Order: sequence, then C-alpha cells, then structure tokens
Amino acid sequence: MKEQWRLLKTEDNSAFTNMAIDKAVMVSCSRGKVPPTVRFYTWKPPAISIGYFQSLNEEVNLDACKSLGVEFVRRITGGGAVFHDKELTYSIIIPESNLKVPKNILESYRRICGAVIKGLKYLWIESKYAPINDIIVNNKKISGSAQTRKSKTVLQHGTVLLDVDVDKMFKLLKVPNEKIKDKLIADVKQRVTSIKHISDNNVTFNETSDAMKIGFEEEFDIELVNGILTKEEISLTNKFERECFSTTEWNYKK
Amino acid sequence: MQSKSVYKIPNGKLIKIFLDYDSKNKLINNICITGDFFAYPEESIDLMEKKLKNTLLTKKDLLEKINSVIKKYKIEFIGLNAEGLVEGILRCIK
Repeated sequence: MKEQWRLLKTEDNSAFTNMAIDKAVMVSCSRGKVPPTVRFYTWKPPAISIGYFQSLNEEVNLDACKSLGVEFVRRITGGGAVFHDKELTYSIIIPESNLKVPKNILESYRRICGAVIKGLKYLWIESKYAPINDIIVNNKKISGSAQTRKSKTVLQHGTVLLDVDVDKMFKLLKVPNEKIKDKLIADVKQRVTSIKHISDNNVTFNETSDAMKIGFEEEFDIELVNGILTKEEISLTNKFERECFSTTEWNYKK
Repeated sequence: MQSKSVYKIPNGKLIKIFLDYDSKNKLINNICITGDFFAYPEESIDLMEKKLKNTLLTKKDLLEKINSVIKKYKIEFIGLNAEGLVEGILRCIK
C-alpha cells in the first residue's frame, strides 16, 4: 500500500493567512501531529510576498500596492519578491527524516520541482528544472520556489503561473534602476510565461490542482488524500497571523 | 557614515548591503544584509550581522570573520558565498 499524505485545498486567503497556514502546518508536522502535507492555494486579494532576507521598502512600491488593492507579506523562506495573482501556489511540508525527500537541499529542490514538472505534463506542457529554484518552458520561467527547514521539517512553497501581467507586476515592484525600467519590463516579458500563454486557453485553478495532485503522487509514489486543517493548525494559524505575519515588526524587519 | 551597495554574486543572487561605518578607523557600526539569496538556517544572517559589528573593513578581516561564523554555526548558503558577501560590503566604501 502506498504511503498516504494529506492534500489541502485552501483557496482565496489573505497574504497573512496563507503564510500563517504554511507555518502552522510546518509546526504541526514537526510535532508529528499530521502526515506530510501538500497544499494548493490562491491569494485574495492579490499579494506580493518578499523573501525572508529582502527589504520591504527596497523591493515593493507600497503606494502602488495601496492604490491597486494588493497586500504584502514577508515569507519565512528566502528568495525574491513574487506577485501572486493568477496562479496556483503549492506548498509541501514533510519531515526531513522521510526518505522521499533528499537530505541535500539542492537535490530536494530538484525532486519537489519534479512533481510540478510531472503535473504540467498532465496539462500538455513540457517543462524542465532550472537550478536553483525555477521551472522553465522554452527557456521561460513558469514556476519559482523557495524552501526552508526548521525543527527537522522541510517546507517548500512555490508558484505555477496560470496567467501573468508583467506591466502590473512592475507597478508593484521597485526596480534597481528606473532609467532602464522599460527595458527590464521587455526583458521580463521575454523570460516569463504562463499556462495561458502556452496552451492558449484559460486553464482553471481546479484543473491545474488536479494535474498537480497527480504530479506529486507520481513523483513521490504516494497517495494524496483530501483533508482539512486540524483544530490545532487553525489555532496556530490565527496565532501566527496575529503575532507575526500581520505585524509591522515582521514585515518591515529589514 | 552610511552607505549602500547592490551587487550581483557571479552565478548567484543579488545582494543589497546597508552599511553604517566609522570612516576614520574603518570599523563597521551596523550592517544589514538583504537580497534574494537563501541561507540555512535563516536566522544565521541576523547572527552574521551582529558578529560583523566592529569588524575592520578589509578583505582579510571580513573574510576571516564571515568564514568563522559560517563554520561555527554550520551555515549553508545558496546563491551567496563568503567572497561575494565581502565584495558587497567593500563596495559600500568604494
């Protein structure tokens, strides 16, 4: 019998809640209270997440966020700023002791991205892993990921772009040099793609999550069983949202 | 004196360093290391910033201090390395 992991689908949460859920599941998993978990989710309203080591003021145009109704939050993972709009976001939380995920961090990125690559195949999209943390289609990025390890537990979350609006993204993110902003936008348009751009039709979140479910099951030779957050996880989510992710101290840490 | 540098690590990530230093004796008062790199454990960068206080702004001193912190706390970087971090810091005073 195949190892059973939990599958969570939690659509349309705020940026603070989404990051709090990932952390709550990680803590719960590290205490042995829940099985390895894969979560598929979306952001409502759209949001910018910045990497743990980034400066909010340096990376994000906060006035534009306010006027466009876009939230912002600092992640517990490193990496760069991401505009979460029309996408499926995944997270995988698993004990480091589980042999399905390599001990070596770079190898584990490759393995987990392998699940996303297999999922994209079920949407008729051929993609490949681009180290350190990207997945590309015809040399254009369609997915980016970030991983942390705490309390002997691995958390990796990442995006799968359903559609992308590069112009809006650049209104929200600051660029190092305003003088070359137009060129940067043109460059990024050449280097980023989405399921919609490739397949030329609107693939829904549910269709994508169905494909990703199979991708994770095949990559890890496991069965994903639909589940919900436990009472403890809901309580931890509320705590982390209130005490961490919604606070000025956390988001303006750098 | 306060200064900032932006440096793309060769084959790595972009780091932005905010430095407050004593321009007379070239010692670090405060440093903030930011960027889109990965470091495990993440808290090690806070620790690195604390340990770099009062370090002399020379390549040798910075590299020694950074490498000793990496070794002591078993820090694993992805997209960043000690040499790149030193270069980023020294660009603040150029």
